[in-house]
Amino acid sequence: MLQRTSVVDHLRLNIASFSSTIEFGDISYYQAFSRALAVQREKKIFFGGEGSFDQYPIFSEPIPIPPITENINIMYHQVKPIIKVKNLDITAVSASSLLQVGSTRNIYAETRVKHIRQIENHSEELTNQTFIPLEEIHSSAGTAIINGR
Amino acid sequence: MNFQVYNRELAVGDIKIIGVSSSSVCIVGDVQTIQLASTFDTPAESLIIGPFVPLFPKG
Repeated sequence: MLQRTSVVDHLRLNIASFSSTIEFGDISYYQAFSRALAVQREKKIFFGGEGSFDQYPIFSEPIPIPPITENINIMYHQVKPIIKVKNLDITAVSASSLLQVGSTRNIYAETRVKHIRQIENHSEELTNQTFIPLEEIHSSAGTAIINGR
Repeated sequence: MNFQVYNRELAVGDIKIIGVSSSSVCIVGDVQTIQLASTFDTPAESLIIGPFVPLFPKG
């Protein structure tokens, strides 16, 4: 392992973002971490420096990952020690992702994303509608945050 | 366990991908171990109806 030459003729990549990596060749260890608070508002109002990751448990809850315990004895025979790629056409690589031409020993990547939507209070429209609003289903205290109702 | 790998020819013609996202990997080659984790949250309380208030400010 980790003894082949990577040859890439052509790569077209538009976006690599949020802790992503493009790698030609070999790596011993790859670790990436990315977290995001995705806020969508009905009107384009954004306040600078708002939001805190420690406020939401999704950013701190433990992720159970099966441990690597099995001991495997691997023998690599490099009959043709070359990795050839003619063409790669990729639009986007994002959020702790890895694009690699080559070999890696260990990979660990983690992403945590929380979406929040803020919608204006259209009370009159809500009373006339036929579907049940979310707050009636989740009416227990502390689950739904409804302002100005 | 004993595992024998014979790397003969590895030649890729064309790969076309739209997106690799949220702890994903696209690899042309070998890997020994992969551990990928991704959490995504859009619960009911994430829908806030009312005046636009800023989220709790940075601590």
